[in-house]
Amino acid sequence: MSDAELATPFRQRAGGAMKDAFLQEALTIATTKFIGLRREAFAGFPEGEALRDQARAIKEATLQQLDHHLETLIGNVERLGGHVHYAATQAEARSIIVDIARRSGARMAVKSKSMATEEIHLNEALEAAGVTPVETDLGEYIIQLAHERPSHIIAPAIHKTKGQVAELFTRALGRPAEPDPEALTRIARGELREKFLQADLGITGANFAVADTGTVVLVTNEGNGRMVTSLPRVHVAVMGVEKVVPSFSDLMVFLAILAKSATGQKLSVYTSMVQGPRRAGELEGPEEFHLVLLDGGRIAQIDGPLREALSCLRCGACLNVCPVYRQIGGHAYGYTYPGPIGILLTAMLEGTPAVRDLAHASSLCGACADACPVRIDIPRMLIELRREIDDQKIAPWTERIAFKLLARMLQSPRLYRISAKAGRLLQRPFTRDGGIRRLPLVFGEWTRTRDLPPVAARTFQERWASDRDLRA
Amino acid sequence: MTTRVEFLERIRERVRRAPQRFQASPTRRPAHPAAEVETIRRELAERWPETLEAFRREFAAVAGVLHHVASVDMVPAVVSRIAQEHRARELVSWHPGALGVDLGSALATRGLDVHQMPGTERIGAAEAERLRALVARAALGLTGVDLAIAETGTLVLVSGPGRPRSTSLLPPCHIAVFDRTALVESLRQVGVFLEAWHGDGRPPAGGASINFITGPSRTADIELTLTRGVHGPKEVHAIFVEQPIGG
Repeated sequence: MSDAELATPFRQRAGGAMKDAFLQEALTIATTKFIGLRREAFAGFPEGEALRDQARAIKEATLQQLDHHLETLIGNVERLGGHVHYAATQAEARSIIVDIARRSGARMAVKSKSMATEEIHLNEALEAAGVTPVETDLGEYIIQLAHERPSHIIAPAIHKTKGQVAELFTRALGRPAEPDPEALTRIARGELREKFLQADLGITGANFAVADTGTVVLVTNEGNGRMVTSLPRVHVAVMGVEKVVPSFSDLMVFLAILAKSATGQKLSVYTSMVQGPRRAGELEGPEEFHLVLLDGGRIAQIDGPLREALSCLRCGACLNVCPVYRQIGGHAYGYTYPGPIGILLTAMLEGTPAVRDLAHASSLCGACADACPVRIDIPRMLIELRREIDDQKIAPWTERIAFKLLARMLQSPRLYRISAKAGRLLQRPFTRDGGIRRLPLVFGEWTRTRDLPPVAARTFQERWASDRDLRA
Repeated sequence: MTTRVEFLERIRERVRRAPQRFQASPTRRPAHPAAEVETIRRELAERWPETLEAFRREFAAVAGVLHHVASVDMVPAVVSRIAQEHRARELVSWHPGALGVDLGSALATRGLDVHQMPGTERIGAAEAERLRALVARAALGLTGVDLAIAETGTLVLVSGPGRPRSTSLLPPCHIAVFDRTALVESLRQVGVFLEAWHGDGRPPAGGASINFITGPSRTADIELTLTRGVHGPKEVHAIFVEQPIGG
């Protein structure tokens, strides 16, 4: 999605997505498939439930001593000959990386799939500095050629058909491409192979970092993570501070559940562990290794209301099961991280006002919390966000007054009875086929995206007062 | 620019205010990982056929091809058969010291162009360039294996002198040779090995990269259609040698 589209209100973006017949079909197929694969993977893995609890406990314990674990990580990365940088904001992260690129004289940077670099909008900054960023994950490569943004955390181009990709390759690469995934993949392999071999700079995120050995861990299926960390002369890894785990024993717990939650694989094809620059006697590997530690709003949540979201592994499981995501897809959310966890991460990284509308883009059904490998209670935090949006007067005044009046009415039995009677009268002109589809004036805000059940012909209180059988 | 001290102080301040429910990770860490590795090895030595069977199952599930030979001198025949299937001659290989055996001449007599990677000797920039071009062109990459994980069908390769990362990455077909000493059952056991390699035990090599390889490179990014060989190898073969390679 372009920045111009981002400027349109959430409701319009979501509405547009729901009218896009292809997107609807693609979302249903993809999310249903991911749900099935995940379920199968855990069905054959009885110890999975205990490992999920353990993984969460590791995250919590690590957060409680995050300063200590990061200090250990920093010490070890430096001992191995790597450089560590500290980015308080997205802008600072961008300028650190652009600086490294400039100093290394890089003209082109190959990138492995990284949500952290999406989050800091790194590509635009690199381009402005005269460095061409090349996304090398196939899905990311496709959306980069199309000048779009990812629509799913682990399947960034699920909103595109093979026909669209073929057209895109034909136009952008100047060579005819058939709408066949195998053939398209072969074309991308050829194009990107050249870039891997030419690039001076490799940029990655980090799925984990093991503190006590200074190890950055990357999980990919395509092998681009290995290319990016093996071939260019300089490697920069960008990681949110919450990605650190104490030891390899801890790491194994996460590896056992991450791929199962994401794609239903027992392990992703490549788990690459990088420990600083190449060592003496090594033919390959970067001569320079940089680790950029990113705050960007995370640190404030260590003792904040969104703390639980710092345990997120970015597996995408909560997107697939979310009835809202399944309808509107990732772009409609408008920010880097879509889906239920994306709303929380957006609040964390961009501030609460950014999610004024998004906080309501959930039915609070709880499917996300069930699917989450580390059992993050996403609905609880969404409710708290809604409360904050109201308390901080971020919500529109009409909405705030409406809810204040509702609260007053619900607290008084007398007011409640009077309101029910009044409602029964007032709703008459608006009730069609047993439902209220459209209300006038400001009340129309409510019925714009939902139906309102009408007040019953006889309320429960009235029946309770007169119907004996109700009390029998 | 934010300094390390400022950055960590910001975190420390938040950590102090956060509710303290756990102090340490609940994961059990081996106190003496090297000793535990020895115990695991002893236990596994008795049941390697079962472990191999489990590995075979999982390796097949991730589209790996397992070959089983009695002794290391039968490896060249398997490699040359794979080469013929690919109509390929060009093979890059880990250094004999890293492989545990020198298969160079045996492979050459079978008509393969064998390029063994340098060992510990220092390599100039021009030579490194030449080698990279060679690896980028080769159809087959021959490596050893440090651990083979039965639970997931995974090959673990540690980089180092004589064991470049690209041998298992750039050629479209990766062939890995291993014996029973590499077989482990579970990810948990691998955790103990990793702890030992970085603790009181000896790592298999002195490189800066450890790779877990679980089948050929794959993607499903276009309409969720599974496609193999997007950046890494399209095929992964593992040759199990029944008679331990080291002798």
